[in-house]
Amino acid sequence: MEKSMVMSKLEALGGVILQAAKEQGVQYAQCTVSEREKREFNVDGGSFSLMRTLFDRDVIITVLKDQKKGSVRINRFDEDAVLEAVRECVASSESAEADDAWAFADSPVEKDFLDGEPECDLEALFDRSRELMDQIREKHPKILMEQMITEHDRVEKVFMSTNSVKYRTLGGCYHFSLMYSAHDGEKSSSFFGSDVTLSKLDRPILECAMIEKELSAIEQQLDTQPLEGKFTGTAVLAPAAMSEIVLSTILDNYVSDSSLIDATSIWEDSLGQKVADERFSMSMTPYADYVVMGDRYTSEGFVSEGFDIIRNGILKSFDLSQYGANKTGNERAKCEGWNLTVESGDTPLEQIISSIDRGVLVLRFSGGQPAASGEFSGVAKNSFLIENGKVTHALSEVMVSGCVRDMLKNVRAISQETLRDGTVSIPYIAFDGVTISGK
Amino acid sequence: MLQELFDNGRPAFAPGAHTELRGQLNRSRRVTLLGGNVIANSRSDISGVSARVYKNGTWGFSSMAEYSEDAAGTVLKAASENAEFMDRHVNGGKEPLPVTEGFVLVPEKDMQDVPQKMYLDVAKTMDAYVQSHCPGLQSRTVAATADSMEKCLLTSDGTRCHTISPRSYVYVFMTAQTNDGTPVELFKAVGGEGTFDENFADPQRYYPEIDRLYEQVMLKREGVYAQAGLKTVILGGMMTGMLSHEAVGHTVEADLVLGGSVAGPCLNRRVASDKVTLTDFAHHAFGERCPLPVFVDDEGVRAEDVTLIDHGILTGYMNSRESARHFGMRAAGNARAWQFSDEPLIRMRNTAVHPGADRLEDMIASVEDGYYLVDSGNGQADTTGEFMFGVTMGYEIKHGKLGKALLDTTISGVAFEMLKTVDMVSDTVVWSSSGFCGKKQPMPVGMGGPALRCQVMIGGR
Repeated sequence: MEKSMVMSKLEALGGVILQAAKEQGVQYAQCTVSEREKREFNVDGGSFSLMRTLFDRDVIITVLKDQKKGSVRINRFDEDAVLEAVRECVASSESAEADDAWAFADSPVEKDFLDGEPECDLEALFDRSRELMDQIREKHPKILMEQMITEHDRVEKVFMSTNSVKYRTLGGCYHFSLMYSAHDGEKSSSFFGSDVTLSKLDRPILECAMIEKELSAIEQQLDTQPLEGKFTGTAVLAPAAMSEIVLSTILDNYVSDSSLIDATSIWEDSLGQKVADERFSMSMTPYADYVVMGDRYTSEGFVSEGFDIIRNGILKSFDLSQYGANKTGNERAKCEGWNLTVESGDTPLEQIISSIDRGVLVLRFSGGQPAASGEFSGVAKNSFLIENGKVTHALSEVMVSGCVRDMLKNVRAISQETLRDGTVSIPYIAFDGVTISGK
Repeated sequence: MLQELFDNGRPAFAPGAHTELRGQLNRSRRVTLLGGNVIANSRSDISGVSARVYKNGTWGFSSMAEYSEDAAGTVLKAASENAEFMDRHVNGGKEPLPVTEGFVLVPEKDMQDVPQKMYLDVAKTMDAYVQSHCPGLQSRTVAATADSMEKCLLTSDGTRCHTISPRSYVYVFMTAQTNDGTPVELFKAVGGEGTFDENFADPQRYYPEIDRLYEQVMLKREGVYAQAGLKTVILGGMMTGMLSHEAVGHTVEADLVLGGSVAGPCLNRRVASDKVTLTDFAHHAFGERCPLPVFVDDEGVRAEDVTLIDHGILTGYMNSRESARHFGMRAAGNARAWQFSDEPLIRMRNTAVHPGADRLEDMIASVEDGYYLVDSGNGQADTTGEFMFGVTMGYEIKHGKLGKALLDTTISGVAFEMLKTVDMVSDTVVWSSSGFCGKKQPMPVGMGGPALRCQVMIGGR
């Protein structure tokens, strides 16, 4: 990658920061210096409303002095501000507690990353945005776009540390975020959101991710019926609901730094053991070809690699930083972020539904943060009743509750159909034994 | 520093187009102790200028991470070009926004910073108190935080406003285990408007609240699951605040009304019992300063209260200047931006149900079989008015008396149906202000209310 003038400026500033930190007696310093440009169109209430252009900068400095850590973030590049930020960062570390667990990448390495599409084609971005709105009006006339944000983000950044670690990144991507509901007279559906991240605008956005399928499902949500009573049945979680209930619980409550450091994780002693159905596998895949602008290095300076969290039902790895690993005596996770792949199954969704006597298809979940144990309870939003192998009607005011730990062992089936939105790859999964309650 | 940029006279605003130029600094400070370990120790200062230009029904916006006349000139030019681009491609065909009378507002005091050491010292002091006075916890986390906004706004109407909005909190999280080893958690935020040194010069004043939190988490570890179904409940003031904000407030933000919210067809209709009056307060409520007062918004509109529900009738929306023109209502200072690089959006300020005449003890005594729901971890609502709140602390009510504590559960319903079941309202308002409202951008907001007796769906296990 040929070094641009901007990159040279960022590197020079990084050098000033590291030098200033060393002169103030730190044993370790790292910084990320970046320049970003965003172009954005907004649709509000079905009409184009706003165009934004943002010129942004970011400087994040972390130092370690006598094993005491401090961090400072500013968005100015002038030398006075940067040197003041270094002084504040060092002062902040000096007042912290020493902790032997702090550790950062210490092998010299230098890498360049060119990701996505750095240059914005503004006219094409607007044209695809308008085309999407026109196609939705034509094919899904009951959909009202509450808000749509379409944007291109360009970033040039450098990560540098006093351990001779240096990463230069030039990247960019397009992102489409839709929030909408269906309306017919005074009848309206619950809202739903669809997202996709792309490196190219080479096809209509309606064809990307599951946007068309999701719009169609929401149009069918205008005539909902309440569910009477309570039963234990099968919940088929669509990809968004999978993220909200199952995946976030695994990542936040079972395998994270905080849950393992304070010993609230119920999987604390489960490495190498069966924690899920053998068909369930979940990995971090920052280099998958369906991921745009994947995680390339960690905030502690290590080059990212993909890894398995769960493979064929066996817990293979926690999702720990080097700090968390040192604190708990486990291994560091090989990357950060949310570039998740849940292995797809070989059963079509329709066939899964045809095997269910009574249950719900849940597109979105609105619930409180699951407890540390993974117990959750919340509203099955945009959901449909399944009876005798068929989706019978849309539901209102239905609650689902259960425990993620138990659900992972009660997998009925995993779908062929898979959401790939540029960040994740997630199928539908049917779980037995979920409590479903209506009025 | 921000002020200097604006003291040099009006920059080159495009003639005939409503224009805003804003300089802004956001500071945030955070120290987090997890089990006594300092896992976060960070400071952040984010600043810059932005401009927004209105042309024929669409907006152009631009921002730059720099304070200077050059940067102001750059963002004004880019915002104007963006407004032109939108006009060429969209052609909204609307009239210019009406011109209002300009005014000047200066801050009550200067922006203050506090050394990072004080956040560490206070966090360590309060963590030590938890460690020594709260035996039997599985884990504890103490986070000392502060965030503040300093804004200078100049509009083409001639308005010049300089505002400073600091707030600071300490969050205490406690986790205990039930007899079968299941973790149960609770947290409490203490603090409020003001800088960290103003609120935490004497951390001991918050010890009674830590003691109360500990008492609750130890009761919760012996807790029971709520029985699922439609129940008579007493919502505590914190829960009423969440309801006011999430389930009603968002549906009456005018941009969401235009996006199809349930409040569109409900204007001037009954949406609650006549015991319910709901207001989005600007800076004072019930004779006192609000938790997070707002005196002017980022469109240069003086902040005034907005009555949303008056004795059960939906009477108004919260507006920007543009939406107020659309609905024939009055803009009252609800258009607010989070950082310099954010455009103003319609946001709540301090949204609360008015107090009634009932005593909380009498309300509890009136329930034969139900629940007293005290606190919520989070909540979400739909533009249909359907809502869901996590209930992190609550109690059974049996024969008019409080019973066992509840394990985590959830309540849900449709706001404009549920509010019609309110038949008792307590005489005391409880406020909270530590969280962020999420709507494209985060925003500090206050929310509150009295206890309400009503019917609501509870999730059970």
